[in-house]
Amino acid sequence: MFTTLAVFAPLAGAFLTLLLRPFLSRNLAVGVSIIFIIISAFCGVVPAVRHLIIGAPDQTITLGSFISVGHFAANWALQQDALSLVMVAMVSVVSALIHIYSFGYMSHDRTMPRFFVYMSLFTFAMLMLVTADNLLQLFFGWEGVGLVSYLLIGYWYDKPAANAAAIKAFVVNRVGDLGFAIGIALIYLQFHSIQFDHIFAASGAMVDAKYTLFGTQFPVLEVIAVLLFIGAMGKSAQIFLHTWLADAMEGPTPISALIHAATMVAAGVFLVVRMSPLISLAPGAEDFITIIGSATALFAATVACVQTDIKRIIAYSTCSQLGYMFIAAGVGADPAAMFHLINHAFFKALLFLAAGSVIHALSEEQDIRKMGGLWRKLPVTYVVMWVGALALAAIPPFSGYYSKDVILEAAYAANSQAGMFGWACGNIAALLTAFYVSRLILMVFHGAPRAAPEIMEHAHESPAVMTGPLVVLALGALSSGFLLDRPFVGADMANFWGSAIAAGPHGSILLAIEQLPEWVAKLPLLMSLAGLGLGFLFYVTLPAIPVALAARFQSIYQFLLHKWYFDEVYDALLVRPSWRLAKFLWHVGDDQMIDGIPNGVAHLTSDASTQAIKMQTGSIAIYAFVMLIGLLALVSIFLLVR
Amino acid sequence: MTSMADIALHALMPDILIALAAMGLLLFGVLSKRDHALACTVTAVIVFVVAARFILAAPAGAIFGGLFLTDDFTRYADMLVLLGCSGALILSVDFNRREAIGRFEFPVLVMFSALGMLVMVSAGNMMTLYLGLELQSLALYVVAAFARDDLRSTEAGLKYFILSALASGLLLYGISLVYGFSGTTDFAGLAHALASSARANDGALVGIVFVMVGLAFKLSAAPFHMWTPDVYEGAPTPVTSLFSTAPKMAAMALLLRLLMGPFAPLLSQWQMLIEIIAIASMLLGALGAIGQLNIKRLMAYSSISHMGYALIGLAAGTEAGVSATLVYMAIYTVMSLGVFGCIIAMRRGGKQVELISDLAGLDRRNRGLALAMAALMLALAGIPPLSGFWGKLYVFYAAVQSGLYGLAVIGVLTSVVAAFYYLRVIKVMYFDEAAPSFDHHSKAVGLMIAGCAALSALFVFVPGPVSQAASVAAHALLGAG
Amino acid sequence: MTIGLAQYLTVAALLLVIGIFGIFMNRKNIIVIMMSIELILLAANLNFIAFSAALHDMVGQVFAMFVLTVAAAEAAIGLAIVVVYFRNRGSIEVEDVTVMKG
Repeated sequence: MFTTLAVFAPLAGAFLTLLLRPFLSRNLAVGVSIIFIIISAFCGVVPAVRHLIIGAPDQTITLGSFISVGHFAANWALQQDALSLVMVAMVSVVSALIHIYSFGYMSHDRTMPRFFVYMSLFTFAMLMLVTADNLLQLFFGWEGVGLVSYLLIGYWYDKPAANAAAIKAFVVNRVGDLGFAIGIALIYLQFHSIQFDHIFAASGAMVDAKYTLFGTQFPVLEVIAVLLFIGAMGKSAQIFLHTWLADAMEGPTPISALIHAATMVAAGVFLVVRMSPLISLAPGAEDFITIIGSATALFAATVACVQTDIKRIIAYSTCSQLGYMFIAAGVGADPAAMFHLINHAFFKALLFLAAGSVIHALSEEQDIRKMGGLWRKLPVTYVVMWVGALALAAIPPFSGYYSKDVILEAAYAANSQAGMFGWACGNIAALLTAFYVSRLILMVFHGAPRAAPEIMEHAHESPAVMTGPLVVLALGALSSGFLLDRPFVGADMANFWGSAIAAGPHGSILLAIEQLPEWVAKLPLLMSLAGLGLGFLFYVTLPAIPVALAARFQSIYQFLLHKWYFDEVYDALLVRPSWRLAKFLWHVGDDQMIDGIPNGVAHLTSDASTQAIKMQTGSIAIYAFVMLIGLLALVSIFLLVR
Repeated sequence: MTSMADIALHALMPDILIALAAMGLLLFGVLSKRDHALACTVTAVIVFVVAARFILAAPAGAIFGGLFLTDDFTRYADMLVLLGCSGALILSVDFNRREAIGRFEFPVLVMFSALGMLVMVSAGNMMTLYLGLELQSLALYVVAAFARDDLRSTEAGLKYFILSALASGLLLYGISLVYGFSGTTDFAGLAHALASSARANDGALVGIVFVMVGLAFKLSAAPFHMWTPDVYEGAPTPVTSLFSTAPKMAAMALLLRLLMGPFAPLLSQWQMLIEIIAIASMLLGALGAIGQLNIKRLMAYSSISHMGYALIGLAAGTEAGVSATLVYMAIYTVMSLGVFGCIIAMRRGGKQVELISDLAGLDRRNRGLALAMAALMLALAGIPPLSGFWGKLYVFYAAVQSGLYGLAVIGVLTSVVAAFYYLRVIKVMYFDEAAPSFDHHSKAVGLMIAGCAALSALFVFVPGPVSQAASVAAHALLGAG
Repeated sequence: MTIGLAQYLTVAALLLVIGIFGIFMNRKNIIVIMMSIELILLAANLNFIAFSAALHDMVGQVFAMFVLTVAAAEAAIGLAIVVVYFRNRGSIEVEDVTVMKG
């Protein structure tokens, strides 16, 4: 009941806003969607809390049949297990807070109701995604959020950069979605069902099934797991498919917070966790997930260290944190992945919204080199941003500490090469994370103001409608770690997750971390503290060092600044050849063949028409002659062919 | 004997009525001091209506030793012939008055022509066929040149006369060959003679082709269509509307009667000729119309291509095919009358205008007329669900059923080409810079346009009676043959 | 040599061909065209009479009578049209009858 309301209230809000827009003032129309999203948040939290406290049994509400063709059947359904409930609660709450925040942030925007309709639609699609009990509905939500993400990245459609970013996001996601779609198709091929419970029940028997392709044998489950993960890579901006996320920051900042930090990008992690009963049977795929996650965590952290756009720094940080989650999922510590997902949702949404507040205060300035000395002007933002930063940097008692610690310990405990790689990358990334986040805060809020004086003049703290959600999120970032530690990854773990997350061969990994040596448990915190210290050293004590370093290691600096040249390489390897191919197809395929044939036929027709008309000379003699020819032709044919 | 005479009288009643009425009107018109064009026209239309009533009541049978036939088929064809003639007469009143050619001879000539067509339709012998055809043609020569002070009208009359006389001569020569090599001119006898000889001799076969050519000319089927554009353009518009309806139906009825009756045993041999003629007509009609600026010329090519479509049903050579052709002719007659009504309404500053560009922006000047014209054009183009679509559907279906896939495919392709010039007319009416408005047209013309447009647009709701009558007629024709 | 059906038919066919050629080879005068049409009708009539005699069948001769009548009417109407045309155009050259074309 509550879940149903939670899922459909945003949809109703979106439609009502759309329908009522012509009759209501802008603010009232927006108010409608805000009210509905608050209802959704309330209804989303209640079942989760109930589950947390009472531990209500899992159940699935079937709403109706989606597609039923032959043996293929998919339902509209709302699954209510721990995984879904947690996600519903997180998504609806964060979405509600961001709705409220946006009311302030977007107040100057002419088409604000459109923005809210999109956001509500997004929330609905995301909730459909997380409550799906089959892959098709999940895919529906998956594509739904992708679509709205596209619409919102390109929200300011008169900005060419926004349009380009929207298209880039769409196209890169298609690559991942292709893998995902093939994965779903293979699952149907193997399991004759796309219902999660059927798949999971049957996957144990499928361990030895193989595909033979080009003389090589591929285990079925490995193939499926990798394909599904490719889908997750696209959505969660993992390395190789990460390029869209930073560009997606062209969208309004609340969108960056909601879609590109807290919820949608986590859908990939959710997918992997949701499919964990299957993936846990595919050790090769698990290693693959771990390695990609580790590489992303490290890579994105290095890039974040040199970026100057406040939102891009946080975006790369998102990438990096998603990498952590995949490390956890890859080593079989799925509860830790979920734990980090929830924590991350709060502190990253907080960071983005705080950044939005800064940008708002500085008249849309996003370059941190033109900020500085803002802490007196924006005290609330300053404080909550520190909360978010410390949570991100994994300093106790902020939330990030709990989950990141567990992840790195699990990676170590996995005792595999991939796990070790993840552990090493994760620790280095932890140092870098603390470094770049301290760099961010110090450059934005401390030091001498570098913004133009008149901008500084106008800089002011955001209104309560914006700072309110910030404070709530800050409380979340502060407390979610120790509140959820016990049920998520602690003693109550098995009880809390129930059957939602597989207890595969690695299921006991989170219990194994208790036996790790002391230094493994302490190392991440030390790394974080070192990172923070480094940040202070570079940007408070000796500001000359980063400049000198950048000058000394120019090539490395440029390499990082250009995000490892991923965009440039893709441009040369994929985009330009595609352009050339497209141009070829356009000029030769389309212009000459596809247009050419009809146009040619049309020309032929009009030429033939000219000839037919020319024959009509008006002369009786010619007319009679044609008749005679016709007669002769018919007689000859008649006599010849009979 | 009395009963035989009774039957003969009943069956001939409509023809006798029209003949007497025509001659009576002629006498009255000549003797009267004043010109009674309107009265004569109204009388003629009434006579047609009464004749139609008689036709429906006439008993089926063959009279005068098989010279003259009446059955469901002749009834159906007669109805369409009289519809076309009446429509043309109604359209003529206003037009002839304004063009100062409003003379009583016009309805009289149309009545004679109608009489000829009725005889053609009912012909059961080559002799009746020829006499009916000639009576029809002689009257049409004169009406084509009816605007006798107009160069274009007289040129139309002259061209039509010469070419039609040539075609009649060929037809007659063909009849003589058929007569000579089969020994009879009676249709039933011919059927017997052609069926019994295992291999029809060459002379008769050549004769048959000549006869087909003569009738194809009347149908303006390619390659015997050359007269059509010039005559359509030059003749006064009501005459053009007559040309495009009644004689076509009469010639088509005769062709159906001959090919499905006496020549039916040679189906496999003439089928190919009809296919060739149909394809040539569809192609030339579609191609020729593209470059036209004059709407009457456009309609000429349009009717050439429509005859091609109608012939597809005949080429199928089945009862379903004949029925499809008959439905097509009915639909075509109504569409044609409607379009020519619209063309007659195209008067500006007291003068007839007939360029397509004169229709520019008609939508803003006269919404009703533009709507009717658009509906008729779409119907002619065969856009569903308008009537033309169903006509084409029937003939294509019949062709496919008979395995004539190529014919059906070419038919569809040429309809695509043809759609271009019909749609162009609509484009001109709705999207071009508006030209000055037209003069007011009479109520009769307006009603005619509205009726035909409504019938064409709403055919989908009333296909039953037409297709049922057509299938009954087709059954009668093949049953008799 | 006896003159049989074949000879009559040959003459008729020749008349037909001459008539047809007269229509489209002649570029001068419309009257000549009308004469050619008469030739075609004559050819048909000759056929009818010859067949009638050969078949011992009266129908052909009756048909020929009808054709003669019709031909007379046709000639009358044709000449009338030529007259009105001449009044409008001032010429009955075949080449001049091309106001309408295309």
